[in-house]
Amino acid sequence: MSIPYFPGCTLHVKAKALDDSTRAALAVLGLELSGLPEWTCCGTVFPLARNNYIGMVASARILANAAKQGDGRLVTVCSFCYHVLKRVNHAVRNSDEARTKLNDYLEEDYDGQLRVLHPLELLRDEVGFGALRNRVGAGLKGTRVACYYGCMLSRPAAEMDFGDPEDPAVMEKFVAALGGEPADFSWKTKCCGSYQVLNEQGLVAGRVKDIFQAAAAGGAQVIITSCPLCQYNLEAHSEADNHSRIPVLYFAQLLGIALEIPINKLGLAGRYADPEALLQGARR
Amino acid sequence: MTGTGIEVTLKVREISGQNPFLCMQCGLCSAGCTGKGTMDMLPRQVMRLLQFGSGKLLDERSMWICTTCLTCTARCPRGIDVARVMEALRALNQRRGVSVLAPADLGAEILADVPQMALTSAFRKLSA
Repeated sequence: MSIPYFPGCTLHVKAKALDDSTRAALAVLGLELSGLPEWTCCGTVFPLARNNYIGMVASARILANAAKQGDGRLVTVCSFCYHVLKRVNHAVRNSDEARTKLNDYLEEDYDGQLRVLHPLELLRDEVGFGALRNRVGAGLKGTRVACYYGCMLSRPAAEMDFGDPEDPAVMEKFVAALGGEPADFSWKTKCCGSYQVLNEQGLVAGRVKDIFQAAAAGGAQVIITSCPLCQYNLEAHSEADNHSRIPVLYFAQLLGIALEIPINKLGLAGRYADPEALLQGARR
Repeated sequence: MTGTGIEVTLKVREISGQNPFLCMQCGLCSAGCTGKGTMDMLPRQVMRLLQFGSGKLLDERSMWICTTCLTCTARCPRGIDVARVMEALRALNQRRGVSVLAPADLGAEILADVPQMALTSAFRKLSA
């Protein structure tokens, strides 16, 4: 089964590991992702000022093109892309003004009926966590995993529909299906400081410290995320604040480990906090 | 747009689609704010100044510290999308050419490192 897929600009270059591990792991599970023939950056942030339709154009164009693939679904994995595409899709579907203005501007006729899906939703609904449990080895058994959703996946709840805005559960169920143990992690939907890494580095350093402390308090051996910017911020500020040396992996890398995919296909080399201990556990 | 008095409040209301007068000053937005240790004025105080109609709000730094993480939006018991209020304050500044991030501010080292999404999002939110 091949599903239309939007990798996004960061996955094309800096977060190639997220792209590679997502494609590799889903392929093993029988879900082939086929990249859209043409795409641009999604715009990265959803415009919060009313009537700022120009800020939605990039995403609307991507959605309109994806709809032409005829599958009815669009998969995207980066938390920013998922957030923006899903919200713009919601606006096109539910607001006559947004639909009319965006279609007029783009000379398209898109109705917002696409389903924008995160791979975690595919794993839950297409593969099934029960079936996933039967596919993985025992390598991650008992591994304590902090599920870091960050700010983009679950808010605003009415548009993202990703579970409770401050206590979503899909990633924990995913971890349990892999044989791991979701760690108590009170910072799971807190923000890492996001793009303020370019403007207020101190703010990001502070939030990263909080996140590592909370993960360590829950006994986490690894933090997983689906956001390249969370991953970057956590690793970039890790040296000062990550005293327990908790590695920060993409959820798809953890899935790849559980599925015993060779690590050179998962982009796991050369990281600050070495996941080797985790991998050794998985190889045992 | 000189940004005086109640004009700012009315403009913010128009751009954000949010009614600042619904705020009852409970402070849940401030308590959960990602930028609370860095902001000169916490979200609750921003809402209060909007109610008073204080034009000096546009010169505060809080709107530029906001990470649009939407925690305030999720928690507000009065249903105010506080992140949209912050965005409206940014927009008013951006429209008069005021912003806090310029490409020249960024060093070569961070540019080589940082994911593309950070550049696009930061410039969209923080530059004019």
